Amino acid sequence: MTRYMKGLVKALALGLAAACSLAAISGATAEELSLKGKRIGVSAIGTDHYWDLMAFKGIQDRVKELGGEVIALDAGRKDQQQIAQLQTLIAQKPDAIIEQLGNLEVLNPWLQKIRDAGIPLFTVDTATPHAINNTTSNNYNIGAEIALQMVADMGGKGNVLVFNGFYSVPVCKIRYDQLKYVLTSFPDVKIVEPELRDVIPNTVQSAYSNVTDMLTKSPEKGSIGAVWACWDVPQIGATQAVEAAGRNEVKTYGIDGSPEVIKMVMDPKSSAGAVAAQQPYEIGKTSVDNAAKYLAGQKVPPFTFVPSVLINKENAAEKGKPFLDAAEKAGVK
Amino acid sequence: MSASVLHSEVAVSDEKQAAAKSAGRRFGALVVRLGAIAAFAAIMAYFVVFAPGFTSTFNLINVVEQSAILGVLAYGMTSVIIGGGSDVTEGGIDLSIAANMGLCAAVYATLLSMGYGDFLSVLAAIAVGMAVGALNALAVVGLGILPLLATLAVLNVAAGMELTLTQNTVVGASSPLLGVLVSGSFLGISALAWALIVFSAIMIVVVHGTSFGLRLYSVGGHPESARAAGISVPFYVSFTYVLSGFCAAVASILTVSRLSASTPGSGELLLSVLAAALLGTVFSRRFVPTMGGTLLSVLFIGLLANGFQLLNVSSYWVNGVQGALILLVVAITSFARGSEGSR
Repeated sequence: MTRYMKGLVKALALGLAAACSLAAISGATAEELSLKGKRIGVSAIGTDHYWDLMAFKGIQDRVKELGGEVIALDAGRKDQQQIAQLQTLIAQKPDAIIEQLGNLEVLNPWLQKIRDAGIPLFTVDTATPHAINNTTSNNYNIGAEIALQMVADMGGKGNVLVFNGFYSVPVCKIRYDQLKYVLTSFPDVKIVEPELRDVIPNTVQSAYSNVTDMLTKSPEKGSIGAVWACWDVPQIGATQAVEAAGRNEVKTYGIDGSPEVIKMVMDPKSSAGAVAAQQPYEIGKTSVDNAAKYLAGQKVPPFTFVPSVLINKENAAEKGKPFLDAAEKAGVK
Repeated sequence: MSASVLHSEVAVSDEKQAAAKSAGRRFGALVVRLGAIAAFAAIMAYFVVFAPGFTSTFNLINVVEQSAILGVLAYGMTSVIIGGGSDVTEGGIDLSIAANMGLCAAVYATLLSMGYGDFLSVLAAIAVGMAVGALNALAVVGLGILPLLATLAVLNVAAGMELTLTQNTVVGASSPLLGVLVSGSFLGISALAWALIVFSAIMIVVVHGTSFGLRLYSVGGHPESARAAGISVPFYVSFTYVLSGFCAAVASILTVSRLSASTPGSGELLLSVLAAALLGTVFSRRFVPTMGGTLLSVLFIGLLANGFQLLNVSSYWVNGVQGALILLVVAITSFARGSEGSR
């Protein structure tokens, strides 16, 4: 198993290196990009989480950097409002629209209308057939990496509490499916049924009480080995709950890389086991570059992956710092 | 003797002072009310001149469409305020209306996704909406609980039931009726916009054009005299809560059509619904809620968000401006209320 793990890590490292160099190349051509005289509509379902805010900011900063005008719309996590904003945006006829996250079931008919109106559509972290390009992290990788880290830390056996409230969000579906796939190779690692549900808003509080309840229900030490969530805000509540219950044998795993969670992983005493840190600001910027390329008549691939980094207890001190620095630089807490 | 003369003189001068004060207040209220309407007009005029594409037919129909759900809900709220009296603390109010809409939408979408047809699903949604309304009526009229508290409790019941039903997930839905609502249009106006136009017409005619509506106002304005005139106050007040539940059900069908699904978080609409119903009173000379006033303020709220987006002003400002206007209107209403003397 360890040999298998090492091989996998090596392959992943190579993949990451390749992705980095690719990003460097696209960075070089991006210098000549321009959005002068162009209006770019940006619609986000909400910006109340670190990831969302960073990506939203990355998009706006890059459009301005390239000389374009931004119409920035934050729906405050209200579907009705996002639909109304998109409807008005279509009437405004911008040169391109960048859409960031939201309920795909709700959005898809409206994304179709954007295309019907002849407006090029780009998405951030939202896989839809209507987009020319979706810029995101490689969630297939992320899902497998974090699952493998968890299995390794658990020694290949034990019970896992899983938050699965957002299977309808495409990236969460991929990460969850990857977790399940990894676990087919480790039959001694079992997901506790019924699964837990993460919610928005009150994510942290609700995760805290869910995990506390489950720990009370299984009081013997070692009866639960880990907590998994498809993002890292539930991980905050889960980690606090584990620590409050004095059950330090339980480790928590999540994805996104909010500064708060990276700091937890960096703290050797914290129960946060690992977090897959994405680069939301870069993802936002890259989607704008894709839009600019498309508007300049260049070819754009259907998806672009921006590299992410698995931060665990061993590498946290070294790998965590650049992410914290980036957060500080962008002025987002 | 002289003491009593003195006393009565003082009383007279007090009365005079009170009368003068109340006249002054009335004048002040008039000024502030006209000021508020002028502010509305000025904002609109600014949009007409500076917001690109604001006055295009396409854009205006969009706004009507975007206002349909809020409008239908606001009519429900307005009827409750008319029937229960517009005292902000003790009068009629339905805080459960937005949560009720969420519950009805969940019922409608869930039944559709289970394969029941439109007829049954719509019927079930309307039954649920009116049942929640009846629960409000029972709590307010039957048990005599303050509407503010009764409907707050029912809000939690409805929200809890929605969560139980959907597990806080998005329930996708499609049906022939939803298809018509999404893409149907007549005379160049979309089905959703028609829904608001027709619903508005019915509400305005029923409340302002019939003796039924007149009795409703008398029940809310002066329950004692309404009772003395032989009007069944409990019936009318109960009716408004059930009507409000019906409005929630109608709005839920419009919501599911617009979002192609029932989604969590309908409760968020409550503030806008209250805003619309309260802002509407500014268009009435006696500061009472009217259906026409509610329609105007619903459209105003829609145009505000639309105009800001066209001007490329941050959407964060919309909430701020909306809040400021509510504060202004509530201030005017209590100001005007003060002039009605000591009650």
